[in-house]
Amino acid sequence: MTWYEKIGHQLFEPDREQTPGEIIVFRLFELFVLGYTIYYVWKWGFYTELRNIEVVLPLGIANYFDVSLLFSNNLTLINAGVITALIIPAYMRRGPKWIYMVILILFHLQYVIRFSQGEIPHSQNLIGMSVFAFAIGTIFFPGKKELPRFVMGAVIFFIGLGYTSAFFAKLIGTGINWADGRHLWLWISEKGIDILSRDGAYSPNLLQQLALGSTAAATMILLIGWLTELIGFTMWWNRIRPYTTTLLIGMHFGITLTMNIRFDAFVLQLIIVGYPWYMIADHLVEQVPKPLQLRI
Amino acid sequence: MNRSESGRAMKLIGIVLIVFAALVATHEGEFWPFSIYPMFSQAGNPWTRAMVLDVTDIPDEEIWQQRPLSEKRGDPLPVRSVGVDQIDYSNFISKTENWTQSRREALLEMFGRDNIGNSRWMAVKVRGEPVGDDSVAVTVKPWLLLTRQGVEENPFLDESDYFRGGDH
Repeated sequence: MTWYEKIGHQLFEPDREQTPGEIIVFRLFELFVLGYTIYYVWKWGFYTELRNIEVVLPLGIANYFDVSLLFSNNLTLINAGVITALIIPAYMRRGPKWIYMVILILFHLQYVIRFSQGEIPHSQNLIGMSVFAFAIGTIFFPGKKELPRFVMGAVIFFIGLGYTSAFFAKLIGTGINWADGRHLWLWISEKGIDILSRDGAYSPNLLQQLALGSTAAATMILLIGWLTELIGFTMWWNRIRPYTTTLLIGMHFGITLTMNIRFDAFVLQLIIVGYPWYMIADHLVEQVPKPLQLRI
Repeated sequence: MNRSESGRAMKLIGIVLIVFAALVATHEGEFWPFSIYPMFSQAGNPWTRAMVLDVTDIPDEEIWQQRPLSEKRGDPLPVRSVGVDQIDYSNFISKTENWTQSRREALLEMFGRDNIGNSRWMAVKVRGEPVGDDSVAVTVKPWLLLTRQGVEENPFLDESDYFRGGDH
């Protein structure tokens, strides 16, 4: 077995039989992803209609045409409507198998229209990557047994890769002294201004006060977070996955407390894909009467 | 999924990774939803953000000077209360390189003339930088005064300050 086949073995678990619990968890995960997709595209559509005037920073395909043409005349709301309408047959497995790919392209378009104002947010990336996994999964692995394994495996692969690449981006961008606690002081003050501007008031919480009061404490906070990112790729191994996931969730709570940045969808998705919920679901299925079990 | 399909899935992921790398390499690390997650990768640099200060009741002679954050004139306007996304606004101010007439109008549109009403709102740049080994200095630079009638530049700044690039 080659090294990449070994990784594939961990991600897709080809020797494990599919169970009802796995299908239930997978369909709930899909519902979660699609629910967030609908929420984002409408939220971005309404904001764009109200506030976007000029393109400050073109992202993605906005580099190739002027997306400000789509800022008005309800075009982003129409796009949100089309995405929502496509999501229904996609979830029901009706229509062509490239329907998720169309959703992904329109979702990307909605993102680059909304975030053409200078901000590059990342809290929606995992939802986007999940839609991407569905887009290629429904084309290349459309079978009922293959699709859940491919989608979940691909999502876990890209989550692990994302965290580890973030570690290296910091190492390359700054060097080994990235974890110098004084850097955290700068970020706390920067995010403090954002809160002050957003809410009209800001006062540092206890963890921020601790970091601001001690270089050593601030350095430890950064170091723990940075090393947690480094081991993100260990999510690829299914036995280690729950432990890595727990550390990553802890890191996100740390980021929220120190820098006031919330990653709600990220954390919820980590909770869903990082633990073997299918075992609990299977146990619950076993509790229901046999005739109902057969239907499941 | 059997073992051969698992191998095929890994090959597909390999192809995706090549496309992923090509897209992020040619688009400064971002081609949503692909990203190398470069946020916070460059540590220790000074930063620039933005706020809006309500200077309606502040005398004209006090509103334009650059001051430390603790000595700013006017209370911060919670931009969320007028439906503006703070991060958008901050980037709009700090990343705009040339403050053309249309860009100034866009800023007014962002806040809405009706929301401004009879108030005077000062869009300020806020800069943070490390000082020595143990502190961060945060200064507030008044940038553009927003009123229902229009946008005024800071008379203490040179015209060229508004046409020479962002983040200063």
